[in-house]
Amino acid sequence: MSTPETTLTVQPPLTSVWRRSRIGAFLSQPVSWVFLVVGSIIAFLSLYPTYFLFYGSLTDAPLGVPGKFTLDNYVKAYSDSEAYSLMLNSFIFGIGSSGLSVVFALALAWITIRTDAPFRRLFELTAIIPNILPPILVSISWVMLLNPSNGLINGLFVKLFGLEKGPFNIYSMAGLIYVEALILTPLAFLIVAAALKSMDPSLEESAKTLGSGEFSVMRRITFPLIRPAILAAGTLNFVRAVESFDTPAIIALPARIEVFTTKIWREALGSFPTNHNLAAAYGVGILAVALVFVYLYRRFTSRVESFSTVTGKGFRPHQIDLGLWRYAASGAAFFLLILLVVLPILVLSLVAILPYYHVPTWQTWQNLTISHFQYVWATPRVHKAFMNSLFLALVGATACMILASLASYITVRTKIAGRGIIEGLVFIPWAFPGTAMALGLLWAYVDFPIPVYATIWIILIAYVTRFLPYGLRAVTSTIIQVHKELEEASIVCGAGFMATFRRVLIPMMRPGVMAGWIILVTIFMREFSATLFLYSPGAEPLGPLLYFLYLDGMRGRVAAIGLVISLISVILIAIAQRYSRWDTK
Amino acid sequence: MLSKTALFLSLIVNLCGATSALYGQSAALLEAAKKEGKVTVYGSLESDTMDVIMQGFRKKTGIEAKYWRASATKVMDRAMSEFRAGKPLADGIVAADNVMRLMQQQGFFQKYESPTNSDFPKDVIDPNLGPRYRNVVVGVVYNKSALKPAEFPKSLEDLAKPQYKGKIVMPDPTQHTTTTQWLASLYKIMGKEKSEKFMRDLAANKPVWVESLLPSAERVASGEFPIAITYVKYAYIHGQKGAPVDYVREPKLIGDASYITLASKAPHVKAGNAFIDYFLDDESMKMMSKLGEFVNRKGVLPPLPGADKIGFVEMDDLSTKDFAEKKKEYTQIFLR
Repeated sequence: MSTPETTLTVQPPLTSVWRRSRIGAFLSQPVSWVFLVVGSIIAFLSLYPTYFLFYGSLTDAPLGVPGKFTLDNYVKAYSDSEAYSLMLNSFIFGIGSSGLSVVFALALAWITIRTDAPFRRLFELTAIIPNILPPILVSISWVMLLNPSNGLINGLFVKLFGLEKGPFNIYSMAGLIYVEALILTPLAFLIVAAALKSMDPSLEESAKTLGSGEFSVMRRITFPLIRPAILAAGTLNFVRAVESFDTPAIIALPARIEVFTTKIWREALGSFPTNHNLAAAYGVGILAVALVFVYLYRRFTSRVESFSTVTGKGFRPHQIDLGLWRYAASGAAFFLLILLVVLPILVLSLVAILPYYHVPTWQTWQNLTISHFQYVWATPRVHKAFMNSLFLALVGATACMILASLASYITVRTKIAGRGIIEGLVFIPWAFPGTAMALGLLWAYVDFPIPVYATIWIILIAYVTRFLPYGLRAVTSTIIQVHKELEEASIVCGAGFMATFRRVLIPMMRPGVMAGWIILVTIFMREFSATLFLYSPGAEPLGPLLYFLYLDGMRGRVAAIGLVISLISVILIAIAQRYSRWDTK
Repeated sequence: MLSKTALFLSLIVNLCGATSALYGQSAALLEAAKKEGKVTVYGSLESDTMDVIMQGFRKKTGIEAKYWRASATKVMDRAMSEFRAGKPLADGIVAADNVMRLMQQQGFFQKYESPTNSDFPKDVIDPNLGPRYRNVVVGVVYNKSALKPAEFPKSLEDLAKPQYKGKIVMPDPTQHTTTTQWLASLYKIMGKEKSEKFMRDLAANKPVWVESLLPSAERVASGEFPIAITYVKYAYIHGQKGAPVDYVREPKLIGDASYITLASKAPHVKAGNAFIDYFLDDESMKMMSKLGEFVNRKGVLPPLPGADKIGFVEMDDLSTKDFAEKKKEYTQIFLR
């Protein structure tokens, strides 16, 4: 009789059982799937073009041409002592302009959201208008106002006060900081205003009940609670300023001031032939700076619950009764808006009706023209550009905000390991200089299996890739303030993740979501540095059209189109702002 | 006004006929071009000028024509990136000499002998790139309202005089490639010693820098600065708009050349050929000339006063190494 065979069952090791149960537990959560999908999309959008840029920084030939591995680009970029002195200039420029922009934004946001100052709804709408105008037009406007030779404001001061020469010189570091701060203020305003709108006033009311005055409450309760938003706005604007090229090109160059981006332009992007490998190496340096700031931002805002003020209780943001001081507050806000909006728009309006720009004389008024507006009205190319830009703005901003909202939830609300990587990935494409990033996108998508190159879809991909951080920042500073009890209540009542996200969180995050949407719409309407490399003749948006009209010296047409873009954007913003209010419910 | 001139020219083009054959072209070429149906051109020629030409071409041939405009180096960047990726979209390139030669060296172009070449002087026809269709001439433009008549500069050398300190605007020579080439080529009209002295004296006058030749012209047209180093055609273009500007008459002026050439991997070869024929033809060249361009077609001059007396001297082509050396040199001279 044979011994019956005994089947030996090998027990799996305990670690793999443990691992499978962990993976199973992870995948059983819907939020985990959201993390995987959102993370994959963001990783692809971010890393695919970035890979090409890193690759380019480590070879000696343009992409498509076999090249050898080299560190020469980094040696050339960072062995030059001038690079460090210019980085210092860029830091001064970045800190000055981002700091000033936050001061302007905070003042304006506090007056419009938290006080009973007259005309505050108007301030809220018009504070965003500078974001609509292409930065190059804002810079040009201020050169016309404050240049020492024949600037309009200088001329007025000379006439009024009998001065020998005007008191202002735009061609200076102070001028550069001032103009960049004006360009950056709308973004900071949107982020800070969204946070102020989202605050539950109970803490402020408690402080008042205990005897604190309004300004004491503002200083000791309100501003500390919106610190994440202030830091977010400052961080974002600092990186934007350091990476900016338009304003330094117009203002720094005549002043013979150089910053890091003008050096990159001089030695890499504007050189002949263009040295993209060197530009990519420089871009990695700026990327490192940007990632340091992302890390710092996350450290500053790491104590999430202490900033939570949006709770399950209904509320209306607290408005301070300023008494007679409300007229002074309105006056201050008006003054800021004159600087931000009125003066640049007036100058652009003047340029749009002159045959060529010059300081107006009595004779000027006899030579006014509407030919620039006729060009806008009658040219099919302009109409098509408007339609393309509207499509990109509406679809792109919406897609961006959906992705940003989900990404923000994952990074702020969950404990999923690796969630911080998503935020880092989002910032990578944005930290490269605009033109260098555009080239990475070109290289990445020119040979892509799906034929998106030379279509409007490649531009959409580029916009989402490059500007996702704006959306993320706007919504993150709001979600931080939403207390967990609301989500927990929803889950306890049986709602799943998507239902909770859609019906509880999104409404709570609405001010931040709409703020981000507005920022993105205004940027997408006139973006050009990435679009320039990617658009094709049939899919030309407004950004390249404006840029080439500017290159061709047609400032009148640029101004006319700029004004029409502003009008359309104001309408879109007014509609979006209507949906961002709590009191619309 | 310039825009009205462009509109007028496009009206003339529209009235001149529909599908008559282009000069010297065979019917077979036109038929083949129509079958291809479209042509795409990348270039650095100003959009207003190209829009009028494209409209004329569409009217004459019925072929759809599209234009992608950028600076010369960006045109090269994009075209070469697509070329290397095997996805060229451009049928033809219109750009400045240096860029065209660099692309030529990398095999981007194919030779095409247009029948219209015979209407260009032999000395302007490059064996590889075809006719140099226009010269862009650099000189001194000044604002007559910003200076007293006695202060008007009379020559390029006058810019070295101390009285003009702080009053001159020019593109940054350490960054703007055409300006780098222009300075490097001054010896051709001044001699080596005089040109070096001129550069040092010009640097001592602390010229204000702008990013390129057009902003230079704009600053002088607006009266912000009285004197600019810029393309002399802007004296005509801004003058047409009412700006009180004029240019310094010199017997010889240095400038850059521009070409239009067919891409070696053009997706629409016959349409590309047809477009080049039209572009170099009489009608198109006259349109460009009326918009202020110095075209090289025989007997066609821009309406700029004194244009017929300007002797054109072509700028030196600089290699990548030369550019780097010159930029270093000018940084020393102008920023010391």
